[in-house]
Amino acid sequence: MKKILAILLAALFCVSVTSCAAKPNSPTSNTDSVSTEAGNEPTGEKQKITAWAWDQKFNIAALKEAEKIYEAENPNVDIEIVEFAQNDTIQKMNTSLSSGTTSGLPNIILIEDYRIQTFLKAYPNSFKDLTGIIKHNDYSSYKLDFMTIDGKTYGVPFDTGSAVLYYRKDIIEQAGYTEADMADLTWEKYVEIGKAVKEKTGKYMLTLDPNDVGQLRIMMQSAGTWYVKEDGTTPNLQNNAALNEGMKIYKQMVDAGIAKSISEWAQFVAGPNSGEVATVPTGCWFTPSIMAEASQSGQWKIAPIPKLGAIKESVNASNLGGSSWYVLNDVKGADVAADFLAKTFGSNNSFYEAILKNNGIISTYLPAAKTDAYNIAVDYFGGQKIYSDISNWAAKIPSVNYGLHTYAFEDIIKAEMQNVMAGTKIEDALANAQKQAEAQIQ
Amino acid sequence: MTRTIKRLFSYLFLIIASFISVFPFYWMIVGATNQSVDITKGKLTFGLAFYDNLKNVFTTTNIAQSIVNSLFISIVTTLLAILISSAAGYGFEIFSSKARKKLFHFLLLSMMIPFAALMVPLYRLFSRLNLINNYLAIIIPAAATAFLIFFFRQNTKSFPKEIAQAARVDGLSEWKIFFRIYMPMMKSTYAAAGIITFMNVWNSYLWPLIVLQTSDKMTLPLIIGNLNSSYTPDYGMIMIAIVIATIPTALVFFIMQKSFVDGMLGSVK
Repeated sequence: MKKILAILLAALFCVSVTSCAAKPNSPTSNTDSVSTEAGNEPTGEKQKITAWAWDQKFNIAALKEAEKIYEAENPNVDIEIVEFAQNDTIQKMNTSLSSGTTSGLPNIILIEDYRIQTFLKAYPNSFKDLTGIIKHNDYSSYKLDFMTIDGKTYGVPFDTGSAVLYYRKDIIEQAGYTEADMADLTWEKYVEIGKAVKEKTGKYMLTLDPNDVGQLRIMMQSAGTWYVKEDGTTPNLQNNAALNEGMKIYKQMVDAGIAKSISEWAQFVAGPNSGEVATVPTGCWFTPSIMAEASQSGQWKIAPIPKLGAIKESVNASNLGGSSWYVLNDVKGADVAADFLAKTFGSNNSFYEAILKNNGIISTYLPAAKTDAYNIAVDYFGGQKIYSDISNWAAKIPSVNYGLHTYAFEDIIKAEMQNVMAGTKIEDALANAQKQAEAQIQ
Repeated sequence: MTRTIKRLFSYLFLIIASFISVFPFYWMIVGATNQSVDITKGKLTFGLAFYDNLKNVFTTTNIAQSIVNSLFISIVTTLLAILISSAAGYGFEIFSSKARKKLFHFLLLSMMIPFAALMVPLYRLFSRLNLINNYLAIIIPAAATAFLIFFFRQNTKSFPKEIAQAARVDGLSEWKIFFRIYMPMMKSTYAAAGIITFMNVWNSYLWPLIVLQTSDKMTLPLIIGNLNSSYTPDYGMIMIAIVIATIPTALVFFIMQKSFVDGMLGSVK
């Protein structure tokens, strides 16, 4: 008995010691008290700012590079980088902001482009207006619409999700097509090539996950439309011609047997790595996953993403994913955080060269695309200058306001897509989806 | 003949069921020895990347610190939870009062409130107490749960009350009866409650995620969550991190397995 009591007392002692020790370093210890004086930086003393992001090899690698550059010129600033999974940052932000406190929140946060409007509209004044601090004209225009409200632009655009068509040159050639055939495809032609690939090589053209309709996002944005109208809230499903056409092509791909059905990310990566599929139409951030299979070096190429042949607005450029940086207004150090972003992500070409060379990160900062790093010929892709190609295609991506409901409406579309696969007419499915979406936002 | 066929079918069923139960563990261990690209391709045999995966996970993440953090939080919470909940369960069963039944029902009702509904007010509360990014914010809410109190109360029903009465007659104080008689006799119940609490706290994700803000404070599940959020996940690293995360719960369970079964059956030593 005495032993148990001794252990308990020791444990309690440890808790109290830890809790006491934690206070001076805790980011919460000062944030509440300084919320009213946010932005007023103390002079002479070491200033600490915090940034949250996900992915060590991508966003955090970029932050670390920026940190090196900024801290060299500003030795009185300490930048603490904390890794949180993407969905986790959303969960943390929502809990903190809806509880009415900025306690524990970082100065800088990376937010996926599809989600930012929800935060900007649900928590007005929580994010710092970066208009005038960042030269937003230096970024691809498609990255600015969703982060701009009432003429104020709140973010620093970061990576591009420029959609590309990765394809295996050898498999395509076996099917009787050439590199020239792959340039500026339509989805209709893509299906035709897919049938030839299946027939002549036995390989699938692509993988499709019924729980991920990213393909529809790519198709819609190529035509400059989205699940919502330009106001960001009105559902745009029933009369969305690009979505209708996208669903038609999706069904054709499945019905023709050219798409291998998969159920999660690992299987998506396994498709190209195992040599089972001839193409991967997705965001350009997929390049490291393609390159993970060293034995296929030299066999892969990239081409612009196909467009919807039946929609005249559709172009051979689109986007899938991508994220941008934001500064929280009411956390001490907001001005330093904005300055950090302005001097690194906002203006520094050598920074962008470094993250491209070291981590394959393609930015949406236009001046960086003119640097030498973008002209590197990549052996894995048969010497193709993939970065400059992707950058050129990214410049043509139609601008879309992702609005507030991307994932909510996409859940509706996923279910309706399954109904379409089971025989429901696309028009009926979209009419039903429209009703559900309208009911959801009321 | 029919008996032999029946037996054959039951063995076949058991073999298939065992395979289904053991396969995730096999897959996890095999995965920890393979490179990410082999795992995505579904390689089912052992590979040579175990050391590389282990080195990578320890050099690129804060996993060593997170193991210490998780162990500390889990052990302290478990000890506090079984002490507080057992005292409450004991009290509910041994002492009679008019309000006892109502209070107990009220307690059980609290089990029906989903944690998601409590999260925002709880965050606000701990933020006001200046306990965000502090282990106390994880330990305190888990230090007494309605389920554990219920569990202890149900098991206390099998505790012979005559012993407590006899001890009282002999002049033993209530605390001493609890610590010297009840606790040793209910060892199996404590073991079962300990295992359940340890596993829950060790695996808990959402609340630690919300209250912990810095890398040095993170728990092991948060580190695994981060590994999984990469655009190009290193599945070898993820698998080895999961193996590491499984070891403590497996150890706790195997050491206390016998007591756990007894405890779940409500036995008194």
